[in-house]
Amino acid sequence: MLLKLNSGKCKSYQDTIRNFLQELLEKKTVDAVLVPLRNPVTGNVAQALVTDERGLNEADPLAPLQMVNAAKILVELTREESGRKIAAVLRPCEARATIELIKLKQVLGDNLVMIGYDCPGAYDAKAYFEMTEKEGPGADIAGRCLKEFTNGDARSLRPACALCAKFTGESADLNLAWIGVEVPEVGLETNSEKGLKLAEGLQAGEVKENPGRTKIIAKISGQRREKEQDPGENIRALIGKCLRCYNCREVCPLCYCKECLLKPEKMGYTSERHLKRAIKKGRIKMPADTLLYHLTKMNHMAVSCVACGLCEQACPVGLPLGKIYRKMGKDIQALFGYIPGMSVNDELPFVTFKEDELPDVEDVKK
Amino acid sequence: MEKKENDFEPKIIAFLCNWCTYAGADLAGTSRIQYPANIRIIRMMCSGSLDPTYVIKALLEGADGVLIGGCHPGDCHYLNGNLKARRRVAVMKSVFKNAGLEPERVWLRWISASEGGYFAETVREMVAHIKKLGPNPLKAEWAL
Repeated sequence: MLLKLNSGKCKSYQDTIRNFLQELLEKKTVDAVLVPLRNPVTGNVAQALVTDERGLNEADPLAPLQMVNAAKILVELTREESGRKIAAVLRPCEARATIELIKLKQVLGDNLVMIGYDCPGAYDAKAYFEMTEKEGPGADIAGRCLKEFTNGDARSLRPACALCAKFTGESADLNLAWIGVEVPEVGLETNSEKGLKLAEGLQAGEVKENPGRTKIIAKISGQRREKEQDPGENIRALIGKCLRCYNCREVCPLCYCKECLLKPEKMGYTSERHLKRAIKKGRIKMPADTLLYHLTKMNHMAVSCVACGLCEQACPVGLPLGKIYRKMGKDIQALFGYIPGMSVNDELPFVTFKEDELPDVEDVKK
Repeated sequence: MEKKENDFEPKIIAFLCNWCTYAGADLAGTSRIQYPANIRIIRMMCSGSLDPTYVIKALLEGADGVLIGGCHPGDCHYLNGNLKARRRVAVMKSVFKNAGLEPERVWLRWISASEGGYFAETVREMVAHIKKLGPNPLKAEWAL
């Protein structure tokens, strides 16, 4: 079912979306909304948990800036059952990460409604801040992002966003469909029972599938799938630049362990051990074990990697981690025919198996 | 070249499950079956409990090969740990391939408690294979 959200007084997509979210709070359909708010004075955008509908006047989920993966916030918000209903406005990669985290039992999905939206991508945070500083807080950066997306030339976006071919919220409970739709109309797609129930009480007219939207989405995702290629980088050489700052682990939505095995103190390295290793090899790189860190991280989480690219944005030495993890993830996921973040009903590859599979793994047959 | 190949004695780290492959190695010993002394055995409760980090660490520290031994499918003491291990090893090999490491240095074998002879044969086979591959190039690298 596709609903048309437009109350007549709205002038932009953002207005329509705000109006919709306000209606959810006014009617007490949900108790709180997690959504990015935009500070009208500074132009800064930050995630906020909003319970007062007036707070949503500043809601701006379409701002092309992603500081954290909101799935990471949902872990904190749903750690214990509060009995309160939360609607989270999520980018597609955030919705996918949330689904993975529900399966990993890190997010409690019972009282959570995921509202996805068509996402044209985001700029690197530093580039975004430069734009707001140069052009003032009122600059229409979202409009520019949309233009670049529709032109099929997303080079100035974050590399992970420029490569992304799953940019609609198809796995969220609801999807706000606005790309290719006439301003200020926004379509509301219901993808689950939960989404359908929430949409029932809304003042919204039913509409047919919008052909303009379908066309542009098929075009861009097709182009991007074609462009997808091997990053062709020497991963070992690249990771030689790693500082082991653990930023990529901190921002990664799938790195949820409370005690990470990769902390130096967990690795059991005493000063004596380092020196012994240095004596054995003649010289060792310090901080040590950067390759061990990355290869282990890949083994642990790449099967669920949703390619949000936050690791790349967080890297202080500019390693193309988004591309690397994307490639690793794709190859691993292909082994099991698994696409992360599609449905809570798809089993995680590491908790299941088939009796007859992966014949190449046992190197030599008896 | 020929001589160098013969001179090289690989070091192989073996992670063996307590219930099958370790018992198989034990049987090889008590049956006095000869096999090369290139292998260093670490006993685990189950091949499914092996975190990839230990395999990676062994290779980065300079081990020339890693053998992972588990029960035959259907024989796992914990029902299906070995089949989960197989998925992990598949992931490991895929990561190694993309990172420019050599996936052939990691072997997964199902060897039961009664297969002492097969255990010895596996070690012989693996040592020969690793000798052909040559020493682990990561041994000489310092920036890891």
